[in-house]
Amino acid sequence: MKIREILAAIALLAFPARAEDAVDYRTQIRPIFQARCYACHGALKQKGGLRLDTVKLAIRGGQEPAITPGDIAASPLIDRVAADEDDTARMPPEGEPLKPAEVELIRAWIAQGARSPADEQPERDPRDHWAFRTPARPEVPAAQHPGWVRNPIDAFIAAGHQQRGLTPQRPADRRTWLRRVSLDLIGLPPTREELDAFLSDESAGAEDRVVDRLLSSPRYAERWGRHWMDIWRYSDWWGLGAEVRNSQKHIWHWRDWIIESLDADKGYDQMLREMLAADELYADDLDRLRASGFLARQYFKFNRTTWLDETIEHTSKAMLGLTLNCAKCHDHKYDPISQVDYYQMRAIFEPYQVRIDMVPGEIDPEKDGIPRGFDCNPEARTFLHIRGDDRRPDEGRTIAPATPAFLTPAPPGIEPVRLPPEAYQPGLRPFVLETHLAEADRRIAEDRRALEVAKAKLAEVEQVAISSPFAADRPGAGSPDDLRPIGRARLAVVVAEKTLAATEAQRAAVEARSAADRARYRPPTPADLPALVAEAARREKIAAFAKADEVASRAELDLFRAKPEKKAELGKKLEDARTALEAAGKAVARPGDSYTPLPGSRKTLESNLETEESRGKPFPRVSTGRRSALARWITDPKHPLTARVAVNHLWSRHFGRPLVPTVFDFGRKGTPPTHPELLDWLAVELVEHGWSMKHIHRLIVTSNTYRLASSSLGADERTLAVDPGNAFYWRANPIRMESEVIRDSLLHLAGELDPTRGGPPIPVADASSRRRSLYFVHSHNEHQQFLATFDDASVLECYRRADSIVPQQALALENSPLATSAAEKIARRIEAAHPGASDRDFALDAFLTVLSAEPTGPERAVVADALAAFAGAARRAGRPDPSGRARVRLVHALLNHNDFVTIR
Amino acid sequence: MTDRHAPGSMRTTPRRTFLADLGMGFTGLALGAMLARDGVVRADEAGGWKPPDGRPHFPPRAKSVVWLFMNGGVSQAESFDPKPELTKYAGKSIGETPFKDVQNPDKLKLARVTVVNDANGQQRNKLYPLQVGFRKYGQCGMELSDWVPHIGGCADDIAVIRSMYTTDDNHGAQTQFHSGRHMLDGEFPTLGAWAHYGLGSLNDNLPQFLSMGAREYWNARDGHYLGPAHDATPIRVDPRNPLDFGKSAGGIGADEQRIGFELVGRLDRLKAVEYPDDPALAARIKAYELAYRMQSSVPEALDLDSEPKETRDLYGLDDPATRDFGMQMLAARRFVERGVRFIQVQHGAGGAGAWDAHSGLKANHERNFRSVDRPIAGLLKDLKRRGLLDSTIVLFASEFGRTPGTQGADGRDHHIYGFSVWMAGGGIKGGVVHGATDEIGFHAVEDRHYVTDVHATILKLLGLDSRRLEIPGRKRLDIDHGRPIDAILA
Repeated sequence: MKIREILAAIALLAFPARAEDAVDYRTQIRPIFQARCYACHGALKQKGGLRLDTVKLAIRGGQEPAITPGDIAASPLIDRVAADEDDTARMPPEGEPLKPAEVELIRAWIAQGARSPADEQPERDPRDHWAFRTPARPEVPAAQHPGWVRNPIDAFIAAGHQQRGLTPQRPADRRTWLRRVSLDLIGLPPTREELDAFLSDESAGAEDRVVDRLLSSPRYAERWGRHWMDIWRYSDWWGLGAEVRNSQKHIWHWRDWIIESLDADKGYDQMLREMLAADELYADDLDRLRASGFLARQYFKFNRTTWLDETIEHTSKAMLGLTLNCAKCHDHKYDPISQVDYYQMRAIFEPYQVRIDMVPGEIDPEKDGIPRGFDCNPEARTFLHIRGDDRRPDEGRTIAPATPAFLTPAPPGIEPVRLPPEAYQPGLRPFVLETHLAEADRRIAEDRRALEVAKAKLAEVEQVAISSPFAADRPGAGSPDDLRPIGRARLAVVVAEKTLAATEAQRAAVEARSAADRARYRPPTPADLPALVAEAARREKIAAFAKADEVASRAELDLFRAKPEKKAELGKKLEDARTALEAAGKAVARPGDSYTPLPGSRKTLESNLETEESRGKPFPRVSTGRRSALARWITDPKHPLTARVAVNHLWSRHFGRPLVPTVFDFGRKGTPPTHPELLDWLAVELVEHGWSMKHIHRLIVTSNTYRLASSSLGADERTLAVDPGNAFYWRANPIRMESEVIRDSLLHLAGELDPTRGGPPIPVADASSRRRSLYFVHSHNEHQQFLATFDDASVLECYRRADSIVPQQALALENSPLATSAAEKIARRIEAAHPGASDRDFALDAFLTVLSAEPTGPERAVVADALAAFAGAARRAGRPDPSGRARVRLVHALLNHNDFVTIR
Repeated sequence: MTDRHAPGSMRTTPRRTFLADLGMGFTGLALGAMLARDGVVRADEAGGWKPPDGRPHFPPRAKSVVWLFMNGGVSQAESFDPKPELTKYAGKSIGETPFKDVQNPDKLKLARVTVVNDANGQQRNKLYPLQVGFRKYGQCGMELSDWVPHIGGCADDIAVIRSMYTTDDNHGAQTQFHSGRHMLDGEFPTLGAWAHYGLGSLNDNLPQFLSMGAREYWNARDGHYLGPAHDATPIRVDPRNPLDFGKSAGGIGADEQRIGFELVGRLDRLKAVEYPDDPALAARIKAYELAYRMQSSVPEALDLDSEPKETRDLYGLDDPATRDFGMQMLAARRFVERGVRFIQVQHGAGGAGAWDAHSGLKANHERNFRSVDRPIAGLLKDLKRRGLLDSTIVLFASEFGRTPGTQGADGRDHHIYGFSVWMAGGGIKGGVVHGATDEIGFHAVEDRHYVTDVHATILKLLGLDSRRLEIPGRKRLDIDHGRPIDAILA
């Protein structure tokens, strides 16, 4: 749709059409039809057999002509669009009615004979839309300037220049290139040493070596991991107070998986498969299961439809560049996606829920564990929601899982996946038993110590009672009150003994349950299974009895110690404890053959209504296979969208603008690519190189296009006139550094960046952390303040990062403790590297360090003046070391320089 | 006001005209965020679509908005919509009264439940008597409760809308009141963000969209898909620490700071010679100048001590019960005076908001009204006598009302089917009661208004057509736009 035309139409509407004014179909009528009618009466759909995308078709009409040129009375279209708002015949049936002025325009146009261009073409078949056809590798254009073209990217870009008569700028100088590629690939500026080494290396391949170094740096994966975290909506959990309502605890395992995968250059297709379906494809591989944090992230406690809506919307937008979400309430208005398609996609996700799998060394899922998806409810049915209202499911018809049929490859076959025992009975994982036993041993040791303490206390109390020479002389001596400390201490010893016994019994039960689990779930089933099960049941009952015994002894002690007014209440408690103990004793006598398998995972509540009982149900042994089918389909090398969308994301972050501006919408409503052949070439290149992202990075950053200067200075008039917005890459685009890059760069230049990788997130209030910024807690509710000032990612949706320019950013760089202390440290480092340097040399070093650039003559002059002024101000204020202070101020000013926060 | 269309040094292709705007003022700077947002295309990318140029679409009636939001939910019956029938039928269950039809399930379908089986947000059947008396105020004789005597004193300046409804029966209704969308739909730009996005700057030394007071879980941000540049800037009524990063952390002297800012300005301008076509650089130069001025202009605006005692007393600064909110109201007036576009003030911290009187309603509302009534009236009177009320819209609202029935012994639950807000000032008729609820204040029955109708009314008065603010890829629904409440417009 041409928005320009609509705007033109709206502008004209300000002057209601008079009958004598000639109405122009192209600028005044077609935009109205396009905006309000085509979705149902065009190429996408022909409701009532009617199409309005050409006037000829409109005249032909459906059951009857929609318009008759020159004859309003025989043009039912007018009646329909002019009908009252509550008239069911009103068109369009949804949304605001056409404005009276619009109706008048159409009326006048019909009255004037419904003129239209003779060669008017109908809309094309939506399935033929460029992005819905598998890309074929386009031929690389022949180079007109072979010297300029370093790789095929340049050939495509050069062809674009040629076609439009654009002259590219010269390459940026080598320092600028080094800073650009360093910030781009690892998110940190080059150090002085790297800068000097690169400048002095004039041998062939110096750039390639830099690129190799950067791509193999562990910092690369953190930098690009954050980009993908934006796209995949990475978020730490949030909720109200301590209640998790969105995402999951320990989601950082997914972040670490992203980083490790990028580091290893795992194929993009493989990453998507693991994120969508690791639980089916690698059911017992905890490392890969971390990827399924993508599913855990979508968790929303209070509304399953909202949860799945977001899952569908953002899986489609991020991986396919499709706005599937637009088909939730009605068929898509622009793309051939029906409302049924939407619910078919929902059916793919319908069975999935979230659980937290135990990790070695931690039995408490609140403290650690891997949040992941799994098919918990394979029988859950999916219904179409009438008009997208979840209160109105169409229960007459179960929607089967499927991918949208209009796209090749064909919807994949869905095969149920038989899971290995460790997947549905995670307690079988060897480390689970080890961890439980280690925990039991730790508690046994603790209980033993407690018992020793209790015994010592008893001995001490008894000693006091025996040896006190005055005890017998006191009034009331020998009364029961005097014996109380001894009684109490004796009971405390009993409690400690029983606690220890309970823990030991618990340990034995853990071992027996684990042995029975292994026999029961791991084929082949051994002959002594019944015996092992019976033993597990017996041990569990014994452990329960020992625990009940401990509880009863504790109740006895409590009663003994109680104040008189509490006696009755605690007496009742003791009585209950004894009853429970008796029952536990009976259970030991008849242990039966049921026991609790060793837990190795905890399911997250499906909603606030789920009971503990349903939460504790055994996990299904078979997964539906729906998500692995989806993953196979999305990552099919023939899929028309997946690779295109991926390379567009990569390109956008290297060049500061995407090839397809609507990065999450490659559909008909999206904006077409500026370089369709280049996009397709890159997409095919990605697929044919094992979906290696490092391969694409390398191609891009070693291209000549990537080297161009970002200045338009000296550009020829034609270039400036034809492409002022640089849509065709005749120069580089300066890019505002993301918030994380700004903070990390400050720390890096100050020599303080802590390279520790991975692990639980850092609280936002921790001002002392020097870790990379992507490790801060980041959720809808919690944002690190400095990062938020420079547009951190929205966790709800962030396909492109905002890059606002607001005064608060200047305040943050001027006034924050981070920037202020970085300025000091950078200045000290420069001085330490060149002791005794003159102001002039210091200024040179400061420019090279902070901006990777030498000051120009005028800059040197301005800086010299400022250094003098700073020193003067410090002197007047009686500050110590005015000239050293002035240098710190200079560095601080450079941190506030436009080109510090800019990738030139 | 900055003339944002003065010819600049940049070339005058259409794109440059827009980009030149970037350097011309605060709103322009904010527009910079537009350039790189998801799915949003550059001015030269989408067949002529352009972000707003900062000018109203039609002549505005008002320039500024003071948006007063009572966190937690104000009881409509005990404030702006008195219902004596509640007292008459107190203790009766609704089914026993002549009004039993209010619980007709068809009429309750409005609710879109976020937390199923939550302890709150439920039907409360036993009618609870009014906890306060009411009387007529002003020439217009508007009936208001005894808890709002000072606001009542301004009755002839305000238009009460008694027929509001919303659909989230939990505090997600807070975000809904600001953005028009139910929490389950996701997060959408708030009205303040739209106004900020659509309109130009009135003052280059202050941020144009401010927020004071507690913002809870449900209503933490504004810009959302418009970008963080359209989030309100949080302001504290404390001249020593008024805004984040507002003051140097490093013991840097004023002289040094001035020299530093000048140095940055000079260096950036030298860069601009090397990079003549870099709109971000031009914008950043402006942003730094503005930042430097903000460091003094914000504390200056918050220097309440410079106000005469009579004025301070008018806002209740002489009384501990009203001082905190009074300071925010006085600060709001000073910001209005200085041309700030949108000032959002939230009252009532803690939990889901201080007004959330599930129990002890009487003590709760008595205390809360005591702290806001006089300061709000002070604001209205002060704006009026300074001739600013004509160009300033004041809104009083909360996310929903409270049930006619009792919760527990002495509380009222959340109520979405009918509640009240009021507006005053630029373009609003005074002394007007618009819309009505039924006899027990359950359903809005006359001239019903969804929350976006309030948005539409305010935007209309600001001279904005929300449909013209839409951006590609973000189709809004008709209900998102709302319809202006023309009946209360002067």
